[in-house]
Amino acid sequence: MQVVWSSKENLNNGEVMQTSDLVNYFSPDLFLAKLKHKSKAKCLEQMAALFVDSKCIRNGEIVLEMLQQREKLGSTGIGKGVAIPHGRTTATMDVHIAFGKSEKGIEFDAIDKKPVHLVFVVLAPPQEHDNKYLPVLGKLVEFLNETKNRNKLLKAETYEEFVAAITGDSNAE
Amino acid sequence: MLSKELELLVALQDLDIMIKDIEDVKEIGFDVAGREKLIKAREDLAQKLAKPIVFNYEKLRKRYMRSIVPVKDDTCLGCFMRIPTQLITRGRTDREVISCEGCGRILYWYE
Repeated sequence: MQVVWSSKENLNNGEVMQTSDLVNYFSPDLFLAKLKHKSKAKCLEQMAALFVDSKCIRNGEIVLEMLQQREKLGSTGIGKGVAIPHGRTTATMDVHIAFGKSEKGIEFDAIDKKPVHLVFVVLAPPQEHDNKYLPVLGKLVEFLNETKNRNKLLKAETYEEFVAAITGDSNAE
Repeated sequence: MLSKELELLVALQDLDIMIKDIEDVKEIGFDVAGREKLIKAREDLAQKLAKPIVFNYEKLRKRYMRSIVPVKDDTCLGCFMRIPTQLITRGRTDREVISCEGCGRILYWYE
């Protein structure tokens, strides 16, 4: 996983984003401990449906279309069993991240050609006042670059365990 | 309905924003091999527009992230200045490319 993380870590207000801040963009409704499908297309469908069910987005079809188009530009499978489909869409008013886990692995055409076990879908509105999208995306990549973090996420079966893995709160695990 | 030129300009702006986003995520480490296709599509689209319109758009793009903005309730959504009645009439009927007198952004009416 190639991570070139620089000034995009800074939010517009000058604050530097912390890993624990990522928790603000997840929710129990956007957590899926077991992804059913093995194909990328079906996985994206399931993740888009998660956003619809949680009422975070207005229209699942345009989100799915955007995610599919993004994949055509290059796979968001960034290697080491991780995929981060992402994009801006008019269907959402704020940055949201959905998490899905697959034990069997998904054929995601990742850069290392290995199956994907951890899927994070990041959605952002077309325009934001505080420009959170890129810092969130960058912080997520940075966090997932650590083997111990990925292992913690692979073990997370509940949303609470997932949050504990993100925040590094060992008592909650 | 937007005029053909405005439709193309709005599409050009969307592509430019998409290319900028792609360049940003490339910096983070994502694979964006298809970026060249977007750039090619952008070039093809720009060629369909008259050169002075593209020149004006490029000039505005250096100042504003979004240089083409909608008008809502007779107000430019770029600078939030009220649009003079005369311009509103022209914008709604003539379907020509009209700029905001306050900020210079290109305006479009979609209602």
